[in-house]
Amino acid sequence: MFHWLEKNPFFFAVGVFVVIAFAGLIEILPNFAEASRPVTGLKPYSVLELAGKEVYKKDNCIACHSQLIRPFKSETDRYGQVSLSGEYAYDRPFLWGSKRTGPDLHRVGNYRTTDWHENHMWDPKSVVPQSIMPAYKHMFTNLADIETAYAEASTVKAVFNTPYGPEIDGTKAGWEKYKPTVLEEAKKIAADMKNKDVKDAVARGEVPEIVAMIAYLNRLK
Amino acid sequence: MQSNAALEYDYSVAKLFTYTTILFGFLGMLIGTLIAAQLAFPELNYLLGEYGTFSRLRPMHTNIVIFGFTLSGIWATFYYVGQRVLKVSMAESKFLMFMGKFHFWLYFVGALLAVITLELGMTQGKEYAVFEWPIDIVIVIIWVSWGISIFGLIGIRREKTLYISLWYYIACFLGIAMLYLFNNMSVPTYFATENLGSFMHSVSMYSGTNDALVQWWYGHNAVAFGFTVPIVAMVYYFLPKESGQAIYSYKLSLLSFWGLMFVYLWAGSHHLIWSTVPDWMQTMGSVFSVVLILPSWGSAINMLLTMKGEWNQLTDNPLIKFMVLASTFYMLSTLEGPIQAIKSVNAIAHFTDWIPGHVHDGVLGWVVFMIMAALFHMAPRMFKREIYSKSLMEKQFWLQTTAVVLYFTSMWIAGITQGMMWRAVDEYGNLMYSFIDTVAVLHPYYVIRALAGVMYLVGFIMFAYNMVKTMTASKELAQEPQFRSPMA
Amino acid sequence: MELRELQGYASFFMTIFLVVMLYGYIIHLYRSEKKGENDYERFGNIALDDEISSDPVVPNPKAQKENEEQNK
Repeated sequence: MFHWLEKNPFFFAVGVFVVIAFAGLIEILPNFAEASRPVTGLKPYSVLELAGKEVYKKDNCIACHSQLIRPFKSETDRYGQVSLSGEYAYDRPFLWGSKRTGPDLHRVGNYRTTDWHENHMWDPKSVVPQSIMPAYKHMFTNLADIETAYAEASTVKAVFNTPYGPEIDGTKAGWEKYKPTVLEEAKKIAADMKNKDVKDAVARGEVPEIVAMIAYLNRLK
Repeated sequence: MQSNAALEYDYSVAKLFTYTTILFGFLGMLIGTLIAAQLAFPELNYLLGEYGTFSRLRPMHTNIVIFGFTLSGIWATFYYVGQRVLKVSMAESKFLMFMGKFHFWLYFVGALLAVITLELGMTQGKEYAVFEWPIDIVIVIIWVSWGISIFGLIGIRREKTLYISLWYYIACFLGIAMLYLFNNMSVPTYFATENLGSFMHSVSMYSGTNDALVQWWYGHNAVAFGFTVPIVAMVYYFLPKESGQAIYSYKLSLLSFWGLMFVYLWAGSHHLIWSTVPDWMQTMGSVFSVVLILPSWGSAINMLLTMKGEWNQLTDNPLIKFMVLASTFYMLSTLEGPIQAIKSVNAIAHFTDWIPGHVHDGVLGWVVFMIMAALFHMAPRMFKREIYSKSLMEKQFWLQTTAVVLYFTSMWIAGITQGMMWRAVDEYGNLMYSFIDTVAVLHPYYVIRALAGVMYLVGFIMFAYNMVKTMTASKELAQEPQFRSPMA
Repeated sequence: MELRELQGYASFFMTIFLVVMLYGYIIHLYRSEKKGENDYERFGNIALDDEISSDPVVPNPKAQKENEEQNK
């Protein structure tokens, strides 16, 4: 009865596919609707924070930092409350990471300030003398891509019903109208910073990567 | 059979992929060694400005090794083994020749694009699935052309039975296709809006915990179907062929094939133990990881027993040495993996250096050793010259074996030390160490690991040198060797 | 909830089905060898004797036909 499987490459391929696809269906499907429900009161990321998340991805912070506090006392003492599934509902992609060369960042906004991040990104050793993290000085000069962040917000609103307001509509005109709101948010961050170039850039209506990045990190609570 | 008298296997595509295997292997390991050194000596982060930090280079390392070196190796061996076990030459079909070449050149262009976009920081942000959607599309086309080559070759075969190696190659093809497609589902933001922002950017179809599930279902099984399945395919061909001994038990190889197919996919959620995915899924990942020892060891024991009665070859043929060591490391890492998937062990091991330690005894000891052995075996047949130097091969073997041992032992100690320090509390229940204490303590192990990296890299350069010399300067062979590869 | 229940049953029976298939396959392998219908171990020779001119272990009738046509 098994000869057809061994001799016919088509049936063989179908057989392999059924066997391997089965596990995926069972593992992933049952939980889908439930796990995507946000915790109450969870707000979607602001456009500036999304731009910051892009910087986080671009410079691949995920290589060394997790965003997942596991249910152990040693972890909750160190990083704060245990992470809940619903807190990640607007994370596309998820950024849990798989390695903690540096500490967890899921609630870093609770215990670090704009000022601390500014010093740390410019020169990690200035705040943590034994740190092995590289400095990210280029974030102070490179500009964040806030237009793409706006496009992302519009996309998740349109496709996945993420609750953004009517001002996020994915049109060119909508973006021109919305841009000042993002700059306003950036100014608030820059006000707490001391780097002159960054302050000047924000005053000119530009958003350096570091500003978006700090907005994102402050949001992680 | 007279019309076949002049017919020969055509290795032109296998040769092309052999070159890229060597090239990407060197690049991937060079970057790997550099980033290992960066953890020990952070000043090395500033060699290339923005483009040379650990964080930017780490995906370069993983992707070049996985999608550059390993895939090239898989394809080099497929275009060699595929013809031989089906007893049909690619030269018999103009179409298949074209597909093979098309497959290679598109792959080469795709690899260049991938490297450039990664260096520029264009990423989806998912580990091992970092490429943005335009590159994903190129990858799909590359993959489909491989599929056409596989089934095209099978379509014109003379040998009706598909040899076990082909089973594994087909499983690799199907498995990766399914995983890659589903994990990379995303919506390009440029087209979902009025062409706002970057053309390359996209958002994942899944969010949060769901994204994590799909990602590790992919991540774990990409290892299964990229680092295990095709490498088993290689052992099942090259070990018998090089030693002149048939597989110890062909039936066992068929059984462990189905066992592996069935069990492997379930184990993906062991990457998410103690996370926010449902408990039953974590437990299932844990349990199936342990069950996975059975089919894995079934294959491994079958490989080792193939040498039954011929163990003397181990001492006088370095190629057999490479393959037997690879099978042994396969046993080691398929035992180590399930141990790490046990919930209580995972609580300590997860997020620490024990995980890269595990990955590297698998990849350095099993994948790279087996691919190098396969290429060494193919070289005299493809280039019709004997292997350039046996003694260089011996030296390379011992250097790299030492390197792997140094690598995983240092990372075991580093990982367990750090895992224990994170949870250590004093008599009042307060945490004993600040995070940075647990980083500073790792310095000596990072130095050892970097050293191991340098040793392994040197070994790989010896391999590359030996291969290049074999292609160009070695003694020519009058006749194709049947079993044992001739070497000077 | 209903969907999940359905999935639960589907997974349970599918698992049983696959396990039965796997064991059936084991029995099939050994039984067909005992009855002398098929000798699986001979397939190991596909790797050992793999010259393009060597005889296939199990010839593919389709390719043979083409061969004959060529030789006409």
